[in-house]
Order: sequence, then C-alpha cells, then structure tokens
Amino acid sequence: MSASQSAVRSRAEAVKVSRTFDWMILFTLFFVVLGGYHIHYMLTGGDWDFWTDWKDRRLWVTVAPIVSITFPAAVQACLWWRYRLPFGAIVSVLGLLLGEWINRYLNFWGWTYFPVNFCFPSNLIPGAIVLDGILLLSGSMTLTAVLGGLAYGLIFYPGNWPIIAPLHVPVEYNGMVMTLADLQGYNYVRTGTPEYIRMVEKGTLRTFGKDVAPVSAFFSGFVSIIIYFLWHFFGRWFASTKFISGENI
Amino acid sequence: MAATTESVKADAAEAPLLNKRNLILGSLLYIIFYGWVRWYEGVYGWSAGLDSFAPEFETYWMNFLYIEMVLEIVTASVLWGYIWKTRDRKVLSITPREELRRHFTHWVWLVCYAWAIYYGASYFTEQDGTWHQTIVRDTDFTPSHIIEFYLSYPIYIITGVSSFLYAKTRLPTYQQGLPLQYLVSVIGPFMILPNVGLNEWGHTFWFMEELFVAPLHYGFVFFGWAALGVLGVVNIEVGALSKLLKKDLA
Repeated sequence: MSASQSAVRSRAEAVKVSRTFDWMILFTLFFVVLGGYHIHYMLTGGDWDFWTDWKDRRLWVTVAPIVSITFPAAVQACLWWRYRLPFGAIVSVLGLLLGEWINRYLNFWGWTYFPVNFCFPSNLIPGAIVLDGILLLSGSMTLTAVLGGLAYGLIFYPGNWPIIAPLHVPVEYNGMVMTLADLQGYNYVRTGTPEYIRMVEKGTLRTFGKDVAPVSAFFSGFVSIIIYFLWHFFGRWFASTKFISGENI
Repeated sequence: MAATTESVKADAAEAPLLNKRNLILGSLLYIIFYGWVRWYEGVYGWSAGLDSFAPEFETYWMNFLYIEMVLEIVTASVLWGYIWKTRDRKVLSITPREELRRHFTHWVWLVCYAWAIYYGASYFTEQDGTWHQTIVRDTDFTPSHIIEFYLSYPIYIITGVSSFLYAKTRLPTYQQGLPLQYLVSVIGPFMILPNVGLNEWGHTFWFMEELFVAPLHYGFVFFGWAALGVLGVVNIEVGALSKLLKKDLA
C-alpha cells in the first residue's frame, strides 16, 4: 500500500469510521469478556452464587470476591494502562451480571422452575465501582491492588446485605432453627444438596451473623489483594500484541 | 466538475466500508438459531430427555446429536475451505481503503464470535448447571450437554477460526507472523472441547454430587481464561486502524 494514499475521503468520514469501530470493539470486548468471566466465575464460585441457601455468612463472603476480582483486574490492566479508560472493572462485572441474570431468569426459572428469589446472582457492582474509582484517582496499580482489593472483599457483604438480609432471618421449622434461605433450600432439594450441607453448614462459629461475616470479609479482602496483583499481570500478558513465527509452533 | 462527478459516481458504485447487512444478518443468525434451540430444550428436555434408555430419548436427543455433529463438520470444512481457497495472494499490495473495508469485515466476524462465545460460555454453560441440579444424570449425552458441549462449543470454534483465517488471509496487519493473543483467544476456547473428555471421564469414574465448583471442572476455567486474548486482538486492531486513520483524524 502507498503511505501517501488515504483510507478515507474526508475528516468527517474518518471520525465516523473511528466511532463505528469504537462500538464494534466495545460490543465484542463486552461479550467475549462476559463469556470468559462467566465460565470462570460459575465454575469457581458458582454454587455460592446460584442459591440463596449457599449464600451463607462465611464461605460465600470469602469465596465470591476472591474468584471475581480476577477479570476486572485483567481488563483494567488493558483498558487503563493502554487507553486510560477508567471502567475496566465495571464493564467486566456488568457483563458477568448480564449473563447471570439472563440465565437465572430464562433457564433457572424458565427451564427448571427455581424461583428467581432463590437463585438471583450476587451483587458485585459496589466493589467494581471502588476498584475503578481508586484506579482513576490514584493512577496506581499497587494502590488499587492493596486498597481496592481489600475494599473489594470488605464491601461485598454490605453490598449484598439489603438483598440477602430478609432471607437470613431465623425461623423455626420442625423444631429446628434455621434461616429463611435454608428453608428455601429444604423445599427445593437439588442434586448438590448433600455437598451443600457438608461444605456450608459446618464450622464452630456458625451463627446468624455476628463475628463470622466481618472476619470472612477481611480474609477475602486480603486474598483479593494478592489475586489482583496476579491478574493484573495476566491482563498485561493477554493484552500483548506479540507475533510469533510459524516455525516456532 | 466532471472529475468530481466521476468521483461521486465511483463512490456510489463502491461497496460500503461496513456491510451493515452482513452485520445484522450474522447477529440474527445466532439469536434466532439459539432461540429455536432453547425452545427445543424447553419442549423436549422434559418430555423426552429425562431417561437416556427410553426410545424417545434416542428419537429427540441422540438423533439431534448425530445431525449436529455432521452439520458442524460440513460447515467447518466448507467455511474454512472457502476462506482459505479465496485468500488474497497479493495482500500486501491492497489500497488503504480496501484494507479499511477488510478491517470492517473482520470486525463483523469478531462480533459474530462475541455472540458465539456468549451463547457457548455463558448462556448454555450455566444452563447446564441448573439442569444437573434438577435431573440425575444417567448419560454423558444429557440434553444440556448435547446443546452445550456438542453444539454451542463447536459453533464458537467454527466462528473463531473463521475470524482468525479471515484476518490471516486478507489483512496486511497479520502478515508479520502469527498473532499470539489471537491464537490464544481462538485455541484456548477450542481446548474446552477436548477438555469435555476429561469432564465426562471424571463423571463416569467418580460418583459425585453435582457441584459446579468441583475441581474436575477447573480445566474449563483455565481454558476460559483464554478469552482474555481478545484484549491483545483489540490492541493489534487499534494499532492497525490508528495507522490507517491517524493523519485524517489529526
């Protein structure tokens, strides 16, 4: 091609072409990240995210932030560090939540008839806003990892509290004290129910709240810091534009 | 004046930079086809998909599996063969405008890849979770698997490889070698399909309760990460488009 030739007829056309590509790129990025993030999240923290009786005060609070901070960190590593776009975390989380809500409604409810108030997804938006906000204000990957990662873990339970609180009130059923979410689970027995009882409903500090949730949130925030660092560098690698020789493969 | 008129005529006769018709039809193809698939699941999942030893299971689900496998192999062969066979052998000598047009066509492919990945990795994979929590599995070819593993995964593989082949055979940007992250974003999700072998082997060998976060599923997670290779593809494309448009946007 000749360097002197132009690909467009006018500046106006150049602007139009540029904007059109912006939309096509954003659409593709959104849905491909959605797909990768969703399969990652559903297979590392999915069971806690699927059902209200798995949304306990200890393991849900611990697991969900740790496994969900991954893709936001990686996408930030590309969108902020290359383009100064401060929405890497929120665009990832919105993608994940869109995929989850469509699924919970059309498939969990629409195909297998679990009521939506039993299988709605966790809310990850507050943590994503905090991550993007800290990165925007500080421009620092380290500060975003340390402060943002910790905040991401800490804010998860309060961010979900207004939704889950009504289902964590104690009820007595057949002489047993349990939460309303537990009662939902007993009425909708699933093939994973025995595993749920073994994994979730145990522990010396099992209570209706009190100290367990904050301790779990701090632990989750601590691990989220490490995971953020790790996935930031994953993101940088995935964002590389390297070409390799065909002879090497 | 005459020269201007000629130029306008040439522009009018020229193919548009972005073929919107292909973009819309490509997107509708996935949406309508998968809408029909979801309808089929809703009707025949419950009425014929609960017992793999029943004759109706063979009729409505195993036949679906056989037909889709044949169609996928034929589609992949024809599509990939066509893209390769019609490749541009003088790709480095095309005009900048033609290059821009091909970038648009490439992005139509990538938008289709986005639809395919969404339906495969998100929609039908999580759907499989709720099916397994409801139905005791008595076969590797349960209805949700026939759709998820053997339909939606091959479709995104076919779309992704087509997109890669288009870029490699028609765009000057991709003539300097093999773009690593493009390979990652296409081959990684492709590897999820062979990983089904591990998954089904494990489910056959161990009597397990249905747990989506079971370590047996971590192979899917690892290869799902490869979708992030799209970040590298976006960066390569932005670099190429910047070169094409830079002086006009300055």
